[in-house]
Amino acid sequence: MSQASLPRIASWLVDLFSPGEDAESIPGDLLEEFSDLAAKSGVASARRWYWRQSAKTIAHLIGSGFRVAPWSIVGTVLVGYLLLVFGDSLAEEAIVGVIHLRRHHVTPYYNQTQLATYVLWLNTSILIGRLLMSLIIGCFVALAAKGREMAATITLGLVVGASLGVFFLVGVLRHWPQNAYLSPFLVDQFAHSIAIVIGGIIVRESRLAMTRRPSGV
Amino acid sequence: MSSRDYLGEFEHIVILALLRLGDRAYGVTVRQEIEARTGREVSVGAIYATLDRLEGKGYVKSQFGEPTPERGGRSKRFFRVTAKGMSAVNRTHRAIQSMTRGLDLIGSYS
Repeated sequence: MSQASLPRIASWLVDLFSPGEDAESIPGDLLEEFSDLAAKSGVASARRWYWRQSAKTIAHLIGSGFRVAPWSIVGTVLVGYLLLVFGDSLAEEAIVGVIHLRRHHVTPYYNQTQLATYVLWLNTSILIGRLLMSLIIGCFVALAAKGREMAATITLGLVVGASLGVFFLVGVLRHWPQNAYLSPFLVDQFAHSIAIVIGGIIVRESRLAMTRRPSGV
Repeated sequence: MSSRDYLGEFEHIVILALLRLGDRAYGVTVRQEIEARTGREVSVGAIYATLDRLEGKGYVKSQFGEPTPERGGRSKRFFRVTAKGMSAVNRTHRAIQSMTRGLDLIGSYS
């Protein structure tokens, strides 16, 4: 009964952020205390306690990740950032190259509709290609940051987000007031930060799945 | 190990909780012991971050118990204080006693 009432999202987040050596003990301790509290004080009170404990625990685990292995996280984030800078332009060039392989001879003779379709395909392919590149780099960073996948990918996501934020502000100031095009650009760019973190989640979940025992043992 | 290597305030509290609990010391009991004795709400994350740091310094050792159904099939991680950890606790106690000797702490601040 009480295990079924466990806040699933909080529990999933704790699993994601618990480092390798504590991947069983921290979620297990929280579940044990949650069950006791639910029996004593009711499920609603236990759920509130679980959310509060999860938030504090995740904050501590991120902080301790930096204290325990600061250079490992900084190194993987730096390599990930460089890969992103070079990988992004490579992905874009490769996609444009593939699309032009068949089309470049006829592009000047397109009518308006064909041209619009061509531009839509080009933009969509580049967007998807770059998001995939961010996802792959997120996976790579998570693989390199053994046991601290989420701390490393969230840091890289924040670094990318912050650098794009600075770029956006500079763009707004330089092109004011002709800067209406910058907002969708910014949303598109921040999607890369999210793709990087999703890469971290994929690797973390895969590692958990490999080590997880069936519940009820 | 340096003779100046003292325990931090929370490290000190966690090691004392381990000594009080003996063989029953794992995340849940350590957290509850600290809350009951200090009245301070601490998170499981804070306990493990401190225990991992103490294990890295060689002050505590840990071992996993058997997985149990009430913990969703997850193991408990039991901790115990090493001889090196005991030396660190004693050294820290002596330093605090030495610093407080002769001070009328209650009288000064009441």
